[in-house]
Amino acid sequence: MSGRARALRLVALLLALAGTWQVASAGWIHAKAALAQHLIASAWNGARDGGPSRRPWPWADMRPVARLTVPARGIDLYVLDNADGRALAFGPAHVSGTAAPGSPGNAVIVAHRDTHFAFLRHLAVDDEIDVEGARGVIARYRVRDVSVVDKEETRVLEPADAPLLTLITCYPFDALRPGTRLRYVVVADRIA
Amino acid sequence: MQGTAARQQPRIQDAIGDFARLVAKAFLGGIGVAVAMSLAILALSANVQAATINETKAGTLLLKDATIDGGYAPAPQVATEVAIDVTGMVARTRVTQVFHNPGSEFVEGVYVFPLPEKAAVDRLWMKIGERVIEGRIREKEEARRTYEKAKAEGKKAALVEQQRPNLFTNAIAHIGPNEAIEIRIEYQQALAYDGGTYKLRFPLAVTPRYLRAAAPAIPDEPKAAEAQALEPGETLLEPSYAPEGCGPLNTVDIAVSIDAGVPVGAVTSSYHETVIEKAGGRTMISLVKDQEEANRDFELTWTLAPGATPQAAMFTQTRGDHEYALLMVVPPQPTAAERAAFDRMPRETILIIDTSGSMEGVSMTQAKAALEMALDTLRPSDRFNVLEFNSIMRTWLPSAVPATADNLARARAWVKQLRAGGGTNMAPALRFALDGGETPGYLRQVVFITDGGVGNEDELFKLIVARLGNSRLFTVGIGSAPNGHFMTKAAQYGRGTFTSIGDVKEVQEKMSQLFAKIEAPVLRDVQVRWPDGTPVETFPPRVPDLYLGEPVLVAAAAKAPLGTVVVTGLRGNQPWSVALTPPPDRNAAGVGALWARAKIASLMDTLAQGADVAQVRPQVVNVALEHHLVSAYTSLVAVDVTPSGPAGGVKTAMVKASLPQGYVGGSIPQTDTPATLQLLLGMLALMSAAIVTAIGRRTARIA
Repeated sequence: MSGRARALRLVALLLALAGTWQVASAGWIHAKAALAQHLIASAWNGARDGGPSRRPWPWADMRPVARLTVPARGIDLYVLDNADGRALAFGPAHVSGTAAPGSPGNAVIVAHRDTHFAFLRHLAVDDEIDVEGARGVIARYRVRDVSVVDKEETRVLEPADAPLLTLITCYPFDALRPGTRLRYVVVADRIA
Repeated sequence: MQGTAARQQPRIQDAIGDFARLVAKAFLGGIGVAVAMSLAILALSANVQAATINETKAGTLLLKDATIDGGYAPAPQVATEVAIDVTGMVARTRVTQVFHNPGSEFVEGVYVFPLPEKAAVDRLWMKIGERVIEGRIREKEEARRTYEKAKAEGKKAALVEQQRPNLFTNAIAHIGPNEAIEIRIEYQQALAYDGGTYKLRFPLAVTPRYLRAAAPAIPDEPKAAEAQALEPGETLLEPSYAPEGCGPLNTVDIAVSIDAGVPVGAVTSSYHETVIEKAGGRTMISLVKDQEEANRDFELTWTLAPGATPQAAMFTQTRGDHEYALLMVVPPQPTAAERAAFDRMPRETILIIDTSGSMEGVSMTQAKAALEMALDTLRPSDRFNVLEFNSIMRTWLPSAVPATADNLARARAWVKQLRAGGGTNMAPALRFALDGGETPGYLRQVVFITDGGVGNEDELFKLIVARLGNSRLFTVGIGSAPNGHFMTKAAQYGRGTFTSIGDVKEVQEKMSQLFAKIEAPVLRDVQVRWPDGTPVETFPPRVPDLYLGEPVLVAAAAKAPLGTVVVTGLRGNQPWSVALTPPPDRNAAGVGALWARAKIASLMDTLAQGADVAQVRPQVVNVALEHHLVSAYTSLVAVDVTPSGPAGGVKTAMVKASLPQGYVGGSIPQTDTPATLQLLLGMLALMSAAIVTAIGRRTARIA
């Protein structure tokens, strides 16, 4: 009798622990995404005020290179220079090898579909995006095209002559399981 | 004893019953949650199924068709004819395609087609019935306005725009019911050449790869398509197709004519059956008829008959008041004795290895193997140094030392202990290597092994241009997706070459090729001397050294007719020269366009070096307009004078197809997290915990 109750209590406890662990992990992903942006903000402001390009925290393997804002949607993000999986947890990242944001050529920025770039699904053609580069110059882009491509279609990363901004995240936005092959691609032309 | 046993019997039965109920409850609860979860997953993953619009491979004319519920149906093509004329290093390609609208309404089609990176599109023709309308080059915005105006007035029109340097779109307004429109585009391309082999590729992108008659509704993501899509309530076409599986019949006819200027050796078509004929100085290649549907890119490779001395050719074209020339010098194949003599020219080799975090793993193994191969090629008369960089730069020795066995052994030990980690900070390493501290009498070569994971490319290019001096920079790309753009441009600014190593198996082969190549340039200090007093504008402005297997191609423009040109250089330590006389036929097609394309590319390059768009743009527009070239700022537009379609609203949609062009390796970064899944699983476990607790309490109460 009491043995059964104890067994049940143990099962309940284990389930509760596992549940808490999973929820906490999910929460941690979102917390990291939000918290890191604050730390990065101060590193960015330091760099912009004339200081050297700083790392947001001492052991970080990336630094902010641009600030991406969508005034109409209240989006304000700091873009990092390292697009590997670990760094992406902290913010959108500029894909190395593509043009620097604001300079001629195709500047590509990627971020997680469920945190920083969740707003991409609401971006429509003709929406405006501002990108502030390292020297405080703000480039304004206007969305020209929105499409979904396979992850192997690296043509979206290819260089261009004209100044372009390409924002990429995983698609579909609401997928449960990670590891999709599809990418949601927003292409914007520089207008100012 | 018996009483106890009898009392215990029902208790055991009770316990079994309780337990069975408990299991049943937990089981049912579990099933309920599992069903709910599966439904949720199904609902969410439905989006995945619907989002594969980009399955279409490029170069297909697509018409929107609402009768198949948002599916995009390619317009059947009647025929494609490709004629490629190769002159020296240039191929001029004429693509003629007849598009047929089998529907009962006027439509606009948008045709997306990939071309080689350096393609210069300069001609567009639209043939309607017996009338031929030639496209005119206009500034991009003006061309678009002209096209939109014609479309609104119900006139037939075609517009060719450059989307990226290697991706173009052709929009065709008002293709009538059951009407066939012939579109012809012409472009130039420079051939790829390496190690004695020329390669020509034509993307056979005209094949509609699929028909999606039963396709689910297009989800809400292609907003660009929807923005230009039909108004609700409009009637749409219903194209008639061959039954699925047969697909529209696609005939492709390719004919290539090669006039290399020098004798041609073996010609091979990589994927298609061809007939090859040689007549006079020309080699003609055509596709064997009745082949299966051509759905692979056409690739042709050929070699030049090798000669012991450099072969040179000159092509000229007179256009307007300018004469354009194209000089081609195929490097001499040095004899063994000459090789030995070349080898006596001592080298100072600076090896740079990227040890940033992104190199960790296979890339690092490859890079170290490449470094060791580089050390193996050094001779005692050479000098060398090795440096690594990640967040910081570390040199093996403060300056280059002779490549004695002892020094090499110490360098190898130093290389062995290198570990990947940290950031990528390239500038200090480049600054150190390109410090101007060249030792006189040595050939200075900087070999840069990296995956090119940098963001500040433009800054690095400026650094290379400013500090190069007499050094040469050779980039070696490591890993599955090295940054080709950075590597190619860095090597170009560094007057060296770029080698890409995609697989660890290729390290040996590619590195020995590179070192065989850079052991010594076959021809150095190349100068092109034009007849006195002729001001000539050439691209590249400064001729790079010729390494084994590389040709040098110079495009030039002059106001006066060009006479005999002398190309001089140092072959080993011996002066060498060749005189090129313009051929009597001064009308080699495409020479002017190639010069203009090189000038535009060079102007666009200045943007990367910090030039102002406002200043560069008009210059590009000038050259492009003069040479009738499509560029980032100019488009081709053709408008029929007679209205033939309904004015006003156009019943079409723009769909972007994707490139089939083989991009080997690499993919877009993964950007999803398990957060949603974890949240769901977590909530599920917590709910189960609550259910079990509740059951536990009830069991306790019952007891």
